[in-house]
Amino acid sequence: MTTPSSPSDKGFPEASPAGTRLVITGTGLVSALGNDAKSTWEGLIRGERAMGTLTVFDASSYKSSVGAEVSGLREMADDTWSRTAEMGVLAAREACESGAIAQARAAGLRVGLVVGSTTGGMFETETLLAVLADPKERETTKDEAWRKLLSNPISSTTQWIDCELGPFARTRTLSSACSSGANAIVVAATWLHLGLVDVVLAGGADGLCRLTLAGFGALSACDPEPCKPFDVGRRGLNLGEGAGFVVLEREDGARARGVEILAELAGWAIGSEAHHITNPEATGSTPARLLTRSLERAGLTPADLDYINAHGTATPLNDAMECAGILSALGSEASRVPVSSSKGQLGHTLAAAGAIEAVITTTALRKGLLPPTVGLTNPDPKCAVRHVVTAQKAEVRAAASSSFGFGGMDSVLVFAKPGYAKAMVPEHHEVVVTGVAVLTPRGLLVGGAAARSMDVPSLPSPASVTIDPSLFDPARARRLDRLSRLGAIVVEAALGPLRPAPGAQVQAPYRDRVGLLLGNAWGNLDASAAFMRRVFEKGPRLASPAEFPNLVPSSPVGHISIYLGLSGPSFALVDFAASGEASFLQGVEMVASGEVRAVCVGGVEEESDIVENVLKRVFSGPPEARPVRAEGAGALTLASAEMAAERGLPVLARVLSAVAFRSGEVLPTVADPCADPSRCLVIARDAATASRLLAGSRWAGCAVRGGEGSVGAHESVGAIFLATAASLVSEKAFDRVMVVGESGGNGYAVVLG
Amino acid sequence: MDLARLKTEIKELIVRELNLEGRDPATIEDDAPLFGEGLSLDSLDALQLAMSLEETFGVRIPEGDEARTIFRSVTGIAEHIEKGRANAPS
Repeated sequence: MTTPSSPSDKGFPEASPAGTRLVITGTGLVSALGNDAKSTWEGLIRGERAMGTLTVFDASSYKSSVGAEVSGLREMADDTWSRTAEMGVLAAREACESGAIAQARAAGLRVGLVVGSTTGGMFETETLLAVLADPKERETTKDEAWRKLLSNPISSTTQWIDCELGPFARTRTLSSACSSGANAIVVAATWLHLGLVDVVLAGGADGLCRLTLAGFGALSACDPEPCKPFDVGRRGLNLGEGAGFVVLEREDGARARGVEILAELAGWAIGSEAHHITNPEATGSTPARLLTRSLERAGLTPADLDYINAHGTATPLNDAMECAGILSALGSEASRVPVSSSKGQLGHTLAAAGAIEAVITTTALRKGLLPPTVGLTNPDPKCAVRHVVTAQKAEVRAAASSSFGFGGMDSVLVFAKPGYAKAMVPEHHEVVVTGVAVLTPRGLLVGGAAARSMDVPSLPSPASVTIDPSLFDPARARRLDRLSRLGAIVVEAALGPLRPAPGAQVQAPYRDRVGLLLGNAWGNLDASAAFMRRVFEKGPRLASPAEFPNLVPSSPVGHISIYLGLSGPSFALVDFAASGEASFLQGVEMVASGEVRAVCVGGVEEESDIVENVLKRVFSGPPEARPVRAEGAGALTLASAEMAAERGLPVLARVLSAVAFRSGEVLPTVADPCADPSRCLVIARDAATASRLLAGSRWAGCAVRGGEGSVGAHESVGAIFLATAASLVSEKAFDRVMVVGESGGNGYAVVLG
Repeated sequence: MDLARLKTEIKELIVRELNLEGRDPATIEDDAPLFGEGLSLDSLDALQLAMSLEETFGVRIPEGDEARTIFRSVTGIAEHIEKGRANAPS
């Protein structure tokens, strides 16, 4: 039996032994073809289509009323429950059973959970949001109705899975729109390479809702008939819903506990197109470079690839650019490699798609059977790949699965028969902070000046941020809404010399492309409310196409990556009140593991009367004890110490520890405070949070600064605390600063020095 | 509504709906191209414009090549709206 690896002395990620292979040992699916992996797979192979007239809501007035619905879900009268969460729990449970997670836990192995989602509880809350769009209605809306909005942040799905199938050793929730499920698997791989956990349950879930049907309809992206991927007559996608999960672990661990190895996760690559918020770049250059990179990582070439499960949404733009990318990446091998899309049968399940298709791809590989593209009868000459139109037997050595999201957030996963690909050598890099910026109602503070962000103990009134329009190029920034602008200001300032010059990253190596990871718990809730109000009042035909892409949780990340030309890995992180801390840890993990050499991390929240109303109703203390809510943003640029030295970047602070733990657990081992207590500081929302999380640790006696009084309370305020901490170290005000935060069962502790 | 007034309203709508911050609607020329060159609008703008023209003037913009002709300029849009109104049942 494998012994769980012990945390390092520094509490910092420790690399696992050389020559690691990551393997899939469990799978679970919920789809419109069936609520488990077996029935979904059999339906796919039989060529069944799950599309029909939607019944979950009346879609008769929408541009398309066709979709692929999941049936047989239980309904729960709970504030945070949603159909998305329910599908997530079902698929996660099947994956846990097939991957013998209970046995792994019983053996003392640390099991992590990573979830990708986009719609969260939108279906359960969109009708209410439409009502709440009118401020007059807010006064008469009952408390229990307001509390239902707690299902809206996508981390509610993670909490349901954690609650029903956990507790998990650590959890993370992310969104990159339609590539979320694939990115969850990449995050899981990073955790395993860093030795943070022994086994990970990773996947995605998304339920149908009016907002996405109206939105894709407004973009003219929905086919009113069952969709036709790659067909010359394709008119768009059909929405679907579902969930997919995999169990991922190191091969040695899987062999030691005797579970069946289904396939190997041999390679992956993620990146951003930095092109357009809804339209993919026509030549497919980003998908092509990611397919090439993921094969290289696996030590494979196009000659080893025997199948691609395409993103294949059936929109005119996606399918043509995707095939262009495949042709460019595979060269002469393209005519040999079979390609199919599952979306003609399952619909587009958005954030779940990447995970569902990862399960389909590994099943195809294991069974030597390729699922077809159903709906394709007359291939578009612009989609000149080798199509699979009926299920066919094939020896599959290696297979790729592609996923592309709004804002051009693309991911490719490569799976292989166990042992076929090259084993990976995990890396471990020191991480440093090279730039910071904070934006609060008091203004923008950059670099060393951010050390002053908490000097004044109270907020100005009103506690909103004044955006200086001269900071933006109006022509390029016209699509950036307020949330994206707040984020863009701090990201641009924190990047400093790492902000790419226009066009500079076209030929940049994979790891040198700067990524963007932003925390944001609520998304653009007020805009979602206004969008839905319009849908109900004026009809779905008049839904705003320009507004729709601003409503996905990853919208600020997408907009900012385009605005600043960032083409590295980008996605949004959600962990409710600790979304800033979650984003920082994600960045540290990606740089430490060598996925990227530099990434900008942070968090942003905008003023919202709707959010304020929800929080007022769930705050358990006396009303006068509730901190004043403000909008704001914080960003830090993280780089590997090697890159900082190579490029001569300023090092504001080093990341000495960055740990995630479960609330209620003892604080894990972290870097010690320095010998002179007057040179150490702890920053938290308030003193009570710090003393609770640090009880019994060596940091318990250090001075604490509660930051919420100075910069205001919001879900991503941890990013402001972390940026301030790095500045305090760089200004030599303190030698070591710890930032602690918590939310929904997760605790975070970061030591900078 | 006279044609000049209609064109002014269309220009105001373009600036407002497409968030062309700092652009004075009066500086948009009647016959200047809107897409590709000129204002450099793209397909997402075309969708937003079609939706808001339908909402404001009650005239549907067809998809495809027909839309391209209409969206060639402010004049093209104004002519389409006029035609739609002339054909509307009184």
